Amino acid sequence: MLRALAITALVLMPPVEEWRVAVPDYAWSFPRDHWAHDGYRTEWWYFTGHLEGGGRRFGYQFTFFRIGIVSEPIELALDSDWASSHVIMGHAAVTDLESGQHVFSEVLYREMPLLASFDHDSEERIGWSRGPAGTKALWTLDFTGDGFRIAARDDRLEMGFELTTRAAKPRIFQGPGGFSRKGKESGAASQYYSYTRLETSGELTMGGERFEVVGESWMDKEFSSSQLEPQQVGWDWFSLQLDDGRELMLYIMRREDGTTDYAKGTVVSPDGEARYLELEDFSFEATRYWVSPSTGARYPVAWRVRVPSEGLELEVRALVDDQENKSRFFGGVYYWEGAVTISVTGLGGEALGRGFVELTGYGEGNRPPV
Amino acid sequence: MIRYFFRALRAQLHGGLSLFALSLFGVSIGVAAVVSIQIINLNALSAFSGSMRAVSGGADVTIVGKMPSLSEDTYPRVLATPGVEAAWPLFRLDVVAEDLDFYLEVIGVDFFTPIDLPWEGASVDLSAALGEPGWVAVTPTLAREKGWELGDRLEVSVGTRKAELVIGAFSDFQKATPLASTRLAVMDIAQAQSLFGARGQLHQIDVKIFEDVDQGDVIAELERSLGTQVLVLTPEQREQQASDLLSAFRLNLTALSFISLFVGGFLVFSSTQASLVRRRTEFGLLRSLGATHRQVMGLLVGDVLLLGLLGVAVGMPLGYLAAEANVDRVSATVTNLYLLDAINQLEVPAWFFLLAAAVGLFSAGLGALMPALELGRKDTRALLAAFSLHERVGARAPRAFLLGVGLMFLGGILYWLVGDRWRPAGFIQAFLLIAAVPLVTPLLVQGATGLLRVRSFGLAYGMKGLGKQLQTTSVAIAALAVAVSMVVGVTTMVASFRETLAIWIEATVQADVYVSTPAWRRSRRRAVLDASVIEVLARHPAVEQVDRLRQFFAYTNGRRFSFAGVDARAPGEKTRFALLEGEMLGAELGGIMVGEPLARKEHLSVGDDLVIDGPKGPVALPIKGIYYDYSSELGSAFTHLETMAKHFGDGPVNSVALYLEQGVDSEHVVDELKTSLADVPLTIRSNRRIREQALLVFDQTFAITRLLRYMSLLIAVTGVALTLIVLARERSAELALYRALGATRLQIFRVFLGKGLGMALIGIVLGSLAGVVFAFILIYVVNRAFFGWTIFVHWPIGLLVQQSLVILGASVLASLYPARVASRVPATELRREDL
Repeated sequence: MLRALAITALVLMPPVEEWRVAVPDYAWSFPRDHWAHDGYRTEWWYFTGHLEGGGRRFGYQFTFFRIGIVSEPIELALDSDWASSHVIMGHAAVTDLESGQHVFSEVLYREMPLLASFDHDSEERIGWSRGPAGTKALWTLDFTGDGFRIAARDDRLEMGFELTTRAAKPRIFQGPGGFSRKGKESGAASQYYSYTRLETSGELTMGGERFEVVGESWMDKEFSSSQLEPQQVGWDWFSLQLDDGRELMLYIMRREDGTTDYAKGTVVSPDGEARYLELEDFSFEATRYWVSPSTGARYPVAWRVRVPSEGLELEVRALVDDQENKSRFFGGVYYWEGAVTISVTGLGGEALGRGFVELTGYGEGNRPPV
Repeated sequence: MIRYFFRALRAQLHGGLSLFALSLFGVSIGVAAVVSIQIINLNALSAFSGSMRAVSGGADVTIVGKMPSLSEDTYPRVLATPGVEAAWPLFRLDVVAEDLDFYLEVIGVDFFTPIDLPWEGASVDLSAALGEPGWVAVTPTLAREKGWELGDRLEVSVGTRKAELVIGAFSDFQKATPLASTRLAVMDIAQAQSLFGARGQLHQIDVKIFEDVDQGDVIAELERSLGTQVLVLTPEQREQQASDLLSAFRLNLTALSFISLFVGGFLVFSSTQASLVRRRTEFGLLRSLGATHRQVMGLLVGDVLLLGLLGVAVGMPLGYLAAEANVDRVSATVTNLYLLDAINQLEVPAWFFLLAAAVGLFSAGLGALMPALELGRKDTRALLAAFSLHERVGARAPRAFLLGVGLMFLGGILYWLVGDRWRPAGFIQAFLLIAAVPLVTPLLVQGATGLLRVRSFGLAYGMKGLGKQLQTTSVAIAALAVAVSMVVGVTTMVASFRETLAIWIEATVQADVYVSTPAWRRSRRRAVLDASVIEVLARHPAVEQVDRLRQFFAYTNGRRFSFAGVDARAPGEKTRFALLEGEMLGAELGGIMVGEPLARKEHLSVGDDLVIDGPKGPVALPIKGIYYDYSSELGSAFTHLETMAKHFGDGPVNSVALYLEQGVDSEHVVDELKTSLADVPLTIRSNRRIREQALLVFDQTFAITRLLRYMSLLIAVTGVALTLIVLARERSAELALYRALGATRLQIFRVFLGKGLGMALIGIVLGSLAGVVFAFILIYVVNRAFFGWTIFVHWPIGLLVQQSLVILGASVLASLYPARVASRVPATELRREDL
């Protein structure tokens, strides 16, 4: 019942006017902007990547969400450590790309000294939370100066990782000045930047087995107070790392009937220059679908992506079909977040890169909560 | 034969409706007594269980603190324990709604944990729940009852602290668990801690364990990692705790209700006996016409079965009504004395009806057993011939008497062997006594009536006849005696207890004015007095001395007891406690005084240590004295405030006692203090008021026993009427002979009145004697074993005499109708064979 409450409540949060909204001329200040921005309703730190170790290949995801519940801080108004204007939600997933096993874990805590917190004063720690119930280890996110350190663990699922990332290419803004529009309404936008290539190394546990791993990650940081426009049901989001040194970020906001309501993209050149794409600059179509046996949602798992201005015509394919994340805390909420491989049409499927795709709002009545 | 049964039944009902109605009445009241008490007992716990399930429904294990507070630091440790699937903290507090004089059970929850709450309506605004000061969700039932609507404000208090709540939503706990308390109120944990000044404190952590994990392992790990400061309990253990808390109270009520049923059983005996007597010729004829012994027995068993079933059918709704009429009193006891949830509504599960039916039928069957066996032994000739059982009972009377005395002797030996150390002993003794009464009755009736000198055909003649009709009369007299013994025993016990309590209160309540808070009754240690309030009280010109009291529940050897810190060196304290053993605490710190119930239950004496679970491990305090204590059957102990602070940390005071200057009118001071502290939620009472209220609570607690006593009596008096009707029928030939010999109707009327009077007198005398023994068993064995306190015997002579006169009067009234029936027997009823 609470699960229902939480979702409803999030929908019913104070009107957008009470929160800060994304603006085109946001004055960025790094490294401070790596830390939390309390005045905005939602914020996330999103890490996805491909790792190898011990002869095995893995895909992984680590996300910290900050969700504002009350726009006016209530911490000072109440004499209790539980007084909190935010909750922290953490999602962590590992996919064994050999066996196809996908494991998802999550945490949800209100921000309070005993359970979870986003630090504002620390030089390193951006945020932390307790692990899921039954796990002693904390989930943490640190800034190391040239990258990030992330740790997540779920003892019950015998899954976890401690990874250190280092920026192999400079940070880029998604959208001019880091202002990323998500719809036609003026408030429908976020402040958005990415590290499109992060050299990654560390330790990963899967099925109770530990692996020393190395690989590459992609990090997105986004904060805003907007939500989906009424006609929008979810989004398809691509982060693709090509072997020639280019990266491609594409997203479309979908309508109920599956058509595109809004779309944007970014191409990053091998030397780190970002070029922004509009709806007419690219296209993609699903070529294969997979139906989740547990939720019944029908997800596309292979696409043909075209970016004519870059001379790209790509086949993007899920490395494992079942990379669906189902939230326990958010009752019926589920989404697909998975590792993909890239090849060029007509070249016999030779790999030309890899990436991650996020698919939300698939399935009956399923809407992303943030 | 079945067709015959129904035809015969119709004939029987036609001929003896009053007899049948009386038997039915007796059985119904007996069943009603048991049913009403069992319904109340069941629901006294159901309210607790319902609320528990409503709040902690999804939890496999609940963690509660044994110390004055459960620190919220415990929560992350619980959360991190392997095997824990989810854990959620609860802040629980009973708060008093000031203007309304009732309490709300506030539950502070973390809305971001997977706790299931039954929200009413499509959505709840979480930002309001978190951000709007005082936001609370109440049950729609309570809102309807109080006329509250969303947005209404409510002033509440706990201790001297006040808070304003705003009704922000409805949570319908009753929908899922109908018996849950309607007073449950949910709010955000941060708001609850902040509003009620309890930063950092929790009261409960509910834990869900993974299904495929061994629950025992997780519990063991939680116990190991959290230490002795917490209790890790399964829902069953929590229910057991509540059940243990109420067990003595419930068991005693159950025992009393079964006495009613037992007395009802006598009635079945009488009526079956009557039926047998009346139908002997019929049965004889049936046998000689070829009916088997089993078929005839079947007719009799059918009668009893019908009586039992009808008794159950009438008794159950009657019992429900009786339960409903008394539920408020019992609910008050359950909430005031045991601090459990109020009984909001009575629920009777289906299995209960089966149980009640079984109990009713069993007692009816038991009552009919002897007469049926009697029938079994008769051959056809004997059935057709005139016979009388009375002579045989008369012949057996001495043997029965000896057996009865033997049973009582056995009870005595049991007392000598185990005293009050073995709980069931008291009930076995009471049972032996009740079983002995019917056995000694025939000989005593013979003896008593033998002493009578009969001068005329009237009252005395009727009484004398009782000794000759023992089979019928001794059963009714025994039933009456058992009922009287219960009335006398329980009345004496209650009166003795009340008197003991009154004297104890007189001695204990020595200060002139007592100050606590409205929330004190339920919230105990959390209902604290602000220091500034104590200062104001102390500054009043008439106040000479202020005694402070700090109290919380502590644990010794797994037993929860009420632990108090007092200004033990204050002059008033010296004489305040009536000592059973040892001496009062002196100036020297470190000792402890233990109340009698706790000392008895834990087998403690002066010189022993009371080992209490403390925040840093066990605290052993030497026992200086043991005092009489009737404040709580849980047991209590007190020490110096300083000693308490040393081992359990500093804490606020819960109540104070004010000693006034000589000659000052305490009521006047109470009024002045109430005026000067009008804004503070306080309960300020003079010692006179406090004494009155203590006795009021006592009377409320025992009110239910009064109902049981009177139910038994009603059955017994019905028994007298029934017996006389039986006699009038059975002896119709004899009565006809009297009439033929010239006796007037008035004379026969008086003979029967004499019989009624005689039965009542013998029943009362015998019952009173047994009642005295019963009172001793209740006072010296049952109360000590179950509650652990000493009751000083006090005979409520006036009340007992008054009750006896009422029984006598009721018996005489009950004799009027049978006497009238007897007096109308015409001489023509005389048959040749009867001569």
